[in-house]
This record gives sequence, structure tokens and C-alpha cells, in this order.
Amino acid sequence: MKNITSKLTAVAVLTFIAFFGAASLAPCDNSEKTVIPALTWDNIADGGFGSGLSSLAAQHFAFSDSWRSVGSRIDSGISGSIVNSVYIADDRLIAADISERESTDECAEIVNAFADSYNGAVYFAAVPTSAGVYGDALPSHLSRVTEKQQTDRFYEQLSGDIRRVDAYNLMKMLSDDRIYLRSDTKWTMYGAYCLYRTVIQKLGSQPVSFDKYTIRHVTNEYRGDLYKRTLYMKCEPDILDIYEYPDGAQVTECVSVGNDGREHDCSLYDTDALGSDDMYRLYLGERQPLVRITTDVNNDRKLLLIGSECAAGFVPFLTQHYSEITVYLPEYADRPLSDFADLNDYEQTLFLFGIDAVKTEILEKTEMR
Amino acid sequence: MEYSSLLFIYGFFPVSLILFHITPKRLKEVMLLLLSIVFCSFFGVRYLICIAAYVLFNYAAARLTDALRKKSAVLCFIPFALGMMFDIFVLFSFRTERFSVVYRALRLHEGFFPVGISLFTLSALGYLIDVFNGRLRSEKNIVRYSLYIMMFPRLLMGPVLRYDTFRRIMNSRSSGTQELGKGLTLFIKGLAKKVLAADTLYALYIAVRSYDTRDMSAVTAWLGITAYVLCLYFTLSGIADMGVGIGYCFGFRFPQSFNYPMFSSRIRYFAAKWHVQVIHWFRNYITKPFASSMRNRYLNKLIFIGAWTVTGFWYGFTVSSALWGALMGTAIVVENKLRNSRMLKATGIIYTFLLVTVFSVFLASDTVSDGLAYLLAMIGGNRSLTDGLTLYLLRSYLVVLLVTMYASTDLFRNMLVRSGRQLLRKIFSAVTPVVMVVLLAVCTALISSSGSSGMLLLRL
Repeated sequence: MKNITSKLTAVAVLTFIAFFGAASLAPCDNSEKTVIPALTWDNIADGGFGSGLSSLAAQHFAFSDSWRSVGSRIDSGISGSIVNSVYIADDRLIAADISERESTDECAEIVNAFADSYNGAVYFAAVPTSAGVYGDALPSHLSRVTEKQQTDRFYEQLSGDIRRVDAYNLMKMLSDDRIYLRSDTKWTMYGAYCLYRTVIQKLGSQPVSFDKYTIRHVTNEYRGDLYKRTLYMKCEPDILDIYEYPDGAQVTECVSVGNDGREHDCSLYDTDALGSDDMYRLYLGERQPLVRITTDVNNDRKLLLIGSECAAGFVPFLTQHYSEITVYLPEYADRPLSDFADLNDYEQTLFLFGIDAVKTEILEKTEMR
Repeated sequence: MEYSSLLFIYGFFPVSLILFHITPKRLKEVMLLLLSIVFCSFFGVRYLICIAAYVLFNYAAARLTDALRKKSAVLCFIPFALGMMFDIFVLFSFRTERFSVVYRALRLHEGFFPVGISLFTLSALGYLIDVFNGRLRSEKNIVRYSLYIMMFPRLLMGPVLRYDTFRRIMNSRSSGTQELGKGLTLFIKGLAKKVLAADTLYALYIAVRSYDTRDMSAVTAWLGITAYVLCLYFTLSGIADMGVGIGYCFGFRFPQSFNYPMFSSRIRYFAAKWHVQVIHWFRNYITKPFASSMRNRYLNKLIFIGAWTVTGFWYGFTVSSALWGALMGTAIVVENKLRNSRMLKATGIIYTFLLVTVFSVFLASDTVSDGLAYLLAMIGGNRSLTDGLTLYLLRSYLVVLLVTMYASTDLFRNMLVRSGRQLLRKIFSAVTPVVMVVLLAVCTALISSSGSSGMLLLRL
């Protein structure tokens, strides 16, 4: 009996392995996202090529989405509410990576140096992530160093002439509203609007009231990064909105500048992105290091907005107040800001960063040369 | 590349099996070495170069020692001593942070770690000692010696074998579907231990360790260290089982390293079932040679404890892990004194598990003071018995803990063996292939998002 069992086990398991091994060799749907490890000496010598191949195998594995979905169900069944470092709360997914937060002291020094060499006014808004606002739902061991503590520490290190926006407390106060996406760490357009009301007053203008906007729900099928990490189907998809102010100022030109210096037409809302894998690109389209927006506002005011991903959803609200807005996204730039724009052209600079994006390697691209 | 990765399970493993089985018999070992070289190269070419240099140096040292042994005892000591010093130096260089000069000299990046170095160093040292003592003739066949050090089914977690045992296993290769079935069953059991049990327990352990020990409640501390001990067992035995299973698939019957030690009724039984070949290595090459030259009973006991201390040091290369070894050795000595005590008989499993768990605090800690602080938390020294975290962890992990505790015992196996009911065994035999496929599918699902289960509690 034992012999037959062993033989049957061999046949069954080898068939299973052969089937999925062979099926993984077939071209897959997401082949455009496949990252093939670079065949460089450093990569081969240090094992990066081997681990790259391992990642490639995971990306290319047959029926990978189904496997991951089943895996997340098993995971949540076994160990409760945490799957792939994402906490599954009653109504949303919350990033729950247990990692030491990077010290922001050096980042503050970079921003201070920027302010010292800049003639205009500098503003900084450090925006919490959904984990910062809804962190109370996390088990206590996952929320030791809060984003509030991190933000407070960072703001303390900024020099006195930089004006700070208390985004954390504002978003925390509004946490019962739909200000963050359920399946992502990012904010909703309404969340961006809420912060805009505060920021624009600091910048010296009056905000446009909420009832003047026409809101369009362009999709109710958005699944964000946190969903992609868990594939937790019970978390409902999010709605993405477009805010339009028909009676307000209009954008006359929107141009993005790539790392190669080439300019392309773009728009505040790129609805083509809704058909892509990353629908959040709806806001400001394909990410480029620089976007220049010209409006028909007749006041000659120019704003330099230096930001992270969250800035993309913020820009549409600013178009009512400036004749020109330049958005610099250092995360996507391979060159410093000074290669893209002349700072003397702007009387105001707003730093709008998710607190998770306040990192030295990102901010150092704003250093003046 | 870990055994518990998609690339290995669905790529490297089946391809290597096919290549090995279609290779003519006389070239099978060459093919196995080529496959091992490819396997090693997944950790980087620098790793491959390091291990190749290591193999060549040890091969040359053993050959020279053997050649000179008949001519002069003094002369043959030179290559032997050089080989020993080289192996120990290499081991210390990579397992402690005090030899950064080696990293700089070899232009290795900070995170470089020669996987399996602790295990293959034991193999290499044992082989050199055996050749020097005349217990073994040195191996002429460099392919086979290379396999002894870097054969991929043994590379990550052994088993650490004496060379004559290894040679016997290599010479008595038996292949067939039956061996393949046994090997795959062992492999999948090991995979499930690693992916299902160890990774889940690790999440519990890391949740506790992310808390400040000074604020930790007693029950939380107990939960954390229990998770650590079980996680360590499932990690080491899981990887070892996978390796042995792969060996079986190639026709090599390597012995298993763990024999259900967790709920033994005596510490010495635990020691006899835990990482068997490693414990044997320290007994054969440290305890025995020193003890045989001593007549004094008490000195022998000290040597025994000393050997355990070295064993503990080998696991973690810290004073704290050496203390774990010293405590284990001392506990075995004391237990042998109290062998007939009624108290021991009555509390066997409980006292063994409690002692093993408490001692493991030092294996889990970086320093002795960290370990003592953790012990203080375990006895309620932080004036808190439970807290919110305890309740959360109990709610999330109690079932996992109980199931893994059961799975770490041999109760199920004994039930089958002792039941005497043929029907039960037949049913178990009939469902085994299905259970194995389901287990493989579940593990595949769990590693599908990251591609592998790379968590290692100890880097050996």
C-alpha cells in the first residue's frame, strides 16, 4: 500500500508542478509590467539577478492573480487581519508595515536650505497617509511611531520662515468623511479639497466654495495599491471623482516636460488612464517630472508646487488662483529642479508631500546648484 | 534561491530532476555538481567564487594532510592546521561583524552572506579532522568532494554528515517512482512547515518583539517566546525536510535532522532529537576527544557543558546564544542526576517545554541583558499580566499556536502506528496524494505574491 501511495503521490505532485510550471511559460496578460532583471555584472555578482528572476517567476506565474487572491484569503484565515503587511479593517485596508520610519532631520535641512536660497515665500504641507489618519484601527504594536509624531518632529526642524500647514490634524478631524480611498493609501479628491481650503488661505486667496463644483464620478471600480497587495475582494472598489468649476477659470495650456526635456500636451484629468492598470493617473496623466499649467486667471501670480503623488489630485483646485502653476514631482525626475525651472520666476513655492514620501533621496533633487 | 520559492518549485527543481535522470549513470555526479553550481549562482557569482575557493582550499588541505601523514606527523600537521584555521577564520568572518576587513578585501557588499556557511564549515572541519586522525583516506575525486560541500539539496540546512556516511549514501543511490514519491512527500511537508507554520508564527513573534520589552505584559512575553521556539523549529526542520526530500528525489537517502523534539518528556530526549547531526558533530569532535582523555567525572561534565556552550555559540555567534547552549548542557547534566525523581516523571513534557522555552529567550536575544529583560517581563516584572496586545494576539493566533503545537509532536504518527487498525492506515494512504497536492497548492497560494518565503530566523 505504501509503495502505491508513494507512486501515486509522485505522479500527482509532478503533474501539478508540470502543469503550472509549463503554464507559467506562456505569455501573460500583464507582460508589459514584467520587470526583467538587468544583466549587469553587479547584478549577477551580488545575486540581484537571481532575486530578480525569482520576482519575475512570481509575476509570470500561471493564474497569479487567482493564486494571490486565494493566498490572501488563507492568510487572513490563518493569522487574522493582516495580509502582506496590510491590515484588513471593517471598512478599509490600511498599510501596516512594521518598519522604522526614516529620520526626517536631513529632509528638513534640505528644505531649509531651499528656503534660504529662495526669494519668495515657502509653504510646507505634510499630508498623512490613510494609515496615519485611520491608524487607531490598527493593533497597537503596528502603530508605535505615529505619523503625527513624525510630522511634528519634521515641522520642528523646519526654519521659522517656512510656513507650515497642519494637514494631519485637519485630515484627522475629517476622518469620518470620504477623504481617503478604501483600497489605497492616497486621498480622494474630496480629501484634497478639504486641505485646499486651508492651504489656499495661507497662500493668500479665498477658497472656492464646495457647492460651485460639479462633481463627476468617473469610475466606481478603482482598486488601489493596498488591494493589489492583498487581493481582498470584500473591500469594495473606490470611486474616483473629477471636480469641475464651469464658471471659474479655465486651463489654457497644460504641458508636461520629460526627463529628456521634451514637452508633451497633457491635461488635469486624463480619462484615458481609466482604461489602464493605474487609474489614479487620471489626475495629471502619465507621471513626468514637470507639468506647466497656464490658466486664464488674470493676476500674473505664479506658483511652484513641489510634491509627491498626492499633489496630482490637488492641482485642479489651484487653477482658480494662479495664472501659471508649475508642478515638479522629484520622485519622477532624474535631474534636479534647477534643470527644469528658474526659481526666480515664482513668488510662492508650496511643498505638498505625503509624509511617507518625505525622504532624503527625493527632496535632495530640490537642492539649489 | 530558497527551496520555498516559485522559481525553485516550478522551475529549477523539475528541470534539474529531468536533467539528472536523463544523464548517463557515470556522469550523474558531474551533472549534480553543475546543477549545484547553477543553484549557488542564484545567490550571486561572488558567492559561487567564494564557495568554489573554499572547496578547493579544503580539498588541497585534506589531500596534503593525507599524503604527508605517512611521512611525518609534524609535516602533516601543517596543512591540517592551515585548513582548520582557514575554515574557522572564514566562519568567523562571515558570521560576526568583527571582520569587515574581509568584506572590504573581497569587495563584498555589507549584506553579503554565504548561505549555509555554518553547516558546510562543520562538514569541512569534520572531514579534515577525520583525515588527520587517519580515520578516513582523503577523497581523490574532486567532483564528489565538491558535492560534499555544495550539493544543493544539502546546502541550506544540511544534514551535516561525516564523509564516510555521505560516501555510503552516494554509493547506494536508488531511484524510482517510489523514491520520488517519498521525496516529494517530505519536500511538501517541509514546505508546509516553513510556509504555513513558521511564517505565521514569525508574524506573531515579530508582533511581540516590535513592542518595548520594558512595557511588555507577562502573557504577551510568553506568547512571543513560544512563537519563537515553534517558529525556529518549523523553520529549521522545514528547510531541512525540503532538502532531504529533494535528496530522495535524486535517489539519495539523507537522514532527517529533526525527530519531533518539541514536546519531549526530558531535556536529554529533546537534545537527542533536535538538529541531530549538528549535535552529533559537536559530540563527536568536541565532547568525545576531550572527555576521553579525562578521568575526572566532574571535568567530563564541564566538558559536556562546554561543548553545548560551543553549540549554542555556533547557532548565534553571540554570548547570549552561547549562554543558551550552556544552560541546555547544564540542564541535561542536572536532569541526569535527578533521573529517577518522581517530580520529573510527573511533569516530564511540561517541564521540558518550559525549560526549552525559557532558555530560548537567550537564543532569541542579541545580548544577555536583553534576554534578562525579556525574562523579567515573562515573570511579570513589568507589573502587567495582560494588556490589549495580549488579547489581540490571543484572538488572532491562539488557534495557530495550538495547531502548530500539535503539529510539532509525533502524536498523529503514533496514532497511525499504534492504532493497529488497517482501515485507518489504508484511508490515510489513499488520501495522502490528494493531501500533498492540496498542501502544495496552499503553499503556492501563500508565496504567490512575493514569489518566495524568505524568512529565516537564524542565518546558518
